[in-house]
Amino acid sequence: MTTVAIPLALNRRKRAPWGLRLAPYLFLFPNMLIFGMFTVWPALNGFNMSLYASSNGRTFKPVGLGNYTTILTDAQFWSVARNTVVYAIAFVVLSTVLGIGLAVLIEAQKRFKVFFRSVFFIPVLISPVVVGLVWGWMLERKSGAVNTWLSWIGIGEVPWLVDNTWAMVSVVAVGIWMQVGFYMLILLAGLQAIDPTLYEAARMDGASAWTQFRSITLPMLQPSIVVVVVLATIHGFQSFDFIYTLTGGGPVGATMLIVQYIYENGFQSPIRYGIASAGGVLLFLVVFVITIINWLISRKREAV
Amino acid sequence: MARLRSRLLPLIVGLSSVALLATACAPGPSESDAAPAPAHSVDPKDFAGKTLNYVYFTDGPDEKGTRDLIAKFEKKYKVTVNLEILAFGDLVKSVQARLTGGNAPDVVRLASLSEFRDDLLPLDDYAGAAFKDEFLPGPQAAATNAKGQLIAAPSDLTINAPFINVDLFKKAGVALPDEKKPWTWDEMLTAAKKVQAATGTPYAFAMDKSGHRLSTILSQYGTTMVGPKGNTLDTAKAEKALSPIVDLMKDDKMPRDFWLGSGSKYKGANEIFLTGDTPVYLSGNWQVGQFVQNAKFDWAAAPNPCAKECGGFPGGKFMAAFKESKNPALAAEFVKFMNSAESQTTFVTAAGALPTRVDLAKSGVKYGDAKTQAAMDVFNAELKRTPEADFSTNGDPAFSGSATELVNQISAVVAGQKDLSTAMKDLSTKIDQLVAETKQ
Repeated sequence: MTTVAIPLALNRRKRAPWGLRLAPYLFLFPNMLIFGMFTVWPALNGFNMSLYASSNGRTFKPVGLGNYTTILTDAQFWSVARNTVVYAIAFVVLSTVLGIGLAVLIEAQKRFKVFFRSVFFIPVLISPVVVGLVWGWMLERKSGAVNTWLSWIGIGEVPWLVDNTWAMVSVVAVGIWMQVGFYMLILLAGLQAIDPTLYEAARMDGASAWTQFRSITLPMLQPSIVVVVVLATIHGFQSFDFIYTLTGGGPVGATMLIVQYIYENGFQSPIRYGIASAGGVLLFLVVFVITIINWLISRKREAV
Repeated sequence: MARLRSRLLPLIVGLSSVALLATACAPGPSESDAAPAPAHSVDPKDFAGKTLNYVYFTDGPDEKGTRDLIAKFEKKYKVTVNLEILAFGDLVKSVQARLTGGNAPDVVRLASLSEFRDDLLPLDDYAGAAFKDEFLPGPQAAATNAKGQLIAAPSDLTINAPFINVDLFKKAGVALPDEKKPWTWDEMLTAAKKVQAATGTPYAFAMDKSGHRLSTILSQYGTTMVGPKGNTLDTAKAEKALSPIVDLMKDDKMPRDFWLGSGSKYKGANEIFLTGDTPVYLSGNWQVGQFVQNAKFDWAAAPNPCAKECGGFPGGKFMAAFKESKNPALAAEFVKFMNSAESQTTFVTAAGALPTRVDLAKSGVKYGDAKTQAAMDVFNAELKRTPEADFSTNGDPAFSGSATELVNQISAVVAGQKDLSTAMKDLSTKIDQLVAETKQ
C-alpha cells in the first residue's frame, strides 16, 4: 500500500478563504435574527403558554394539556373547525382554478396585458379591514349595491350576510376576490416560463387548444400550482381580518373561523391566553401537516 | 423516502428539543409569586418635578375636559402628566402587555375593572378610608375589592334609557311619555308601533346590539345574570323579558339584519335613530352629545318602561392607579384630584355623563345647554329608579362574558336556531361556567 502526500499548499488552495465562507451567513444573519425574534421565539412561547392558564399574561397556572382538552371538548370549537375546513377547501379550490383561468386569459391577450394584470392585482393591495367594510355595505340586504343590481334583473333580496349559507358564500367570494390577483401573478410567471416551441410543435401535430392546455400548460405549470395551493391553504386557514369586519363571524357563528376563535379567547373578556395559545398550536399543526403533504405529493410527481 | 426521512428527522427532533426547553420554563411568575407591594405615603411636596403616565380612551367630548383638568393638576403640583390616548378596543390588551413588560402606566381609565382587579392600587391607603364614601353606593360597590378597599374611583356614570323622535310622535298624534309616570313595555311598544304605522318609518323600535342594553330589560323584569352569589339568572323572567324583543325582530319592526349581520360584535343603532328610521331607540346618556350636534329633528330622552322594576342599567368608567406605578402616591393623588367635586363637574359636563359623587348627585350638575340639561335630568331620574343590585351585576368579573353570551343566544333565537326557552337555559349553563372560571 502506498500513500501519496498531497502538498499542503494545494490542499489549502481547494478551500475558499474563511471570509468568503462566512459571508453568506453574515448576509443571512440580520434576517434570521428578525425571524428568530419575531417568529420563532413567539411561536415557541405560544406553545409554552398553551400549557398554562392565564387571564392577564403575567400570572400563569400550569394546566398540562388541560387547554387542549377544553378546546377539543368545546362544541363551539368543532363548529368553528367545520367552518374553517369548508372555507379553506372552497377558497383553495376556487382561487386556484380562477387563478389559472385568469392567468391563461391574460397570457393570451395581445394588448392591455399589463392593464388587466394590474386590475386583478389591485384588491391584493387593499387593506383587508377596508375590504370587509366596503363589501359589508355592498352586500347589505335592503340597501346594498349588489341587491340593487340584482333587483334590476328581477332577482329579489338575497340575505347575503344574515343567512348561514349565503354568509359563507359571501365570505368565500370576498376572500377569493381579495387574493386571486396574487395567485394569478404567480401562475402567470409560471406560464411565461413555458417554452413556446412546445406549443408550436403541438399545433403542428394538430393538437386542439384544450389538448395543449391539458398536456402542456397544466403539467408545466405544476410547480407554480403547488406554490399557489400551499399559499392558498395557509391564507384559507388564517383568514380573519376581512371576515371580522364583514360578518363578525356571524350570523350566529356561521362564518367564524379558527383565527377569530383564537382572537376572541385571547383578547375578549373573559381573557384566556392559554386557550388562545392552544388554538394557535392546533392551527399550526394542521397547516404544517397539510403543507408537508402538499410537498410530498409534489416531490413524488417531480420524480415521476 | 429514506432520504426525506433522514432530512426531516433532525428537523423534528431539533424543534421538539427547543420546544421542550421552552416548556420547562413557565412564561411568567406563578400566581403565588404575585404578592402585593406595600403602600407608602409621600409628602405631596415631594411630587414636584415628577412625571405621571395616564393611559386614557376617549368618547370624544370628554377629552378637552380631561386636558383642562390635567393642566390644573400640573400647575398645582409642578409635575408632568403624559396623557396617552389609546383606542378603546386596544386598551385592555395594550395595558396588559405593558404590565407584563414591567412598563405599567401610573393611572388608567377603564370601562371595566375585571381584567385588572389584582393589579390596582388600593386608594384608601393614600386618599384615606373616607374617600370611598364620597361616591354613590352603587358605583362605590363596583369599585371595591373583596377586602373592602376602593381600587378605583368611579369617574362617571352612564345609564340606559330610550330616546324618542318627538317630531315623529307629534306627526303620528301619539302622546309623549310622562317623565313622572313611566310607561310599561306594552305601552311603549304600542306607542312605537302606532308611530311607525302613521309615519311609515322602517322600524318601530331599535336598540344597540349589546348584552348590556339587554340587561336593562332583564333588570326591569326583576332578574340579572350575575351577582355576588354567582349566577342570578331567573330563566322564566328572562324569557318573559326578552320575548317582545325577539318578536319585534321576527316581525321586522326592529332591525333584524342589524342584529344578525355583525356576529358577536357590539353595534350601536344610533345611526338608525339619527336617520329618522325609528321613533324609539334604547341606548344611554352617552348619546346625548352627538344627538345635540347631529339630530335634524326634535328628540328627547324618555323614562325607561317599567315592568316589575323601573329604571335602567348602569355603566360607567373608572380611574385607577396601578400597584406597579413608579409613583403610587402621586398616582393616587391624581385620581383623587380628578374626582374631586370641582373636577368631576368639569368632566361630566364636558363628557355629557352623570356624576358619581354623592354631593354632585344631590346638588345636580348644570350642563351647557337646555337640550342636554333636559335629557340629563331624565337620565338622572332613571338612575334613582335603578335597582342597587344592577351596579354589582355590572361590576362582576363574569358580567362581560355573560353579556356576550346573552347576545349570542338572542341571535340564535332570531336566526330560528333555537327557541327562547332553550336559549335562556343554555345561557344559564354558560353563566355557571363563566362564574366558576372567574373564581379560579
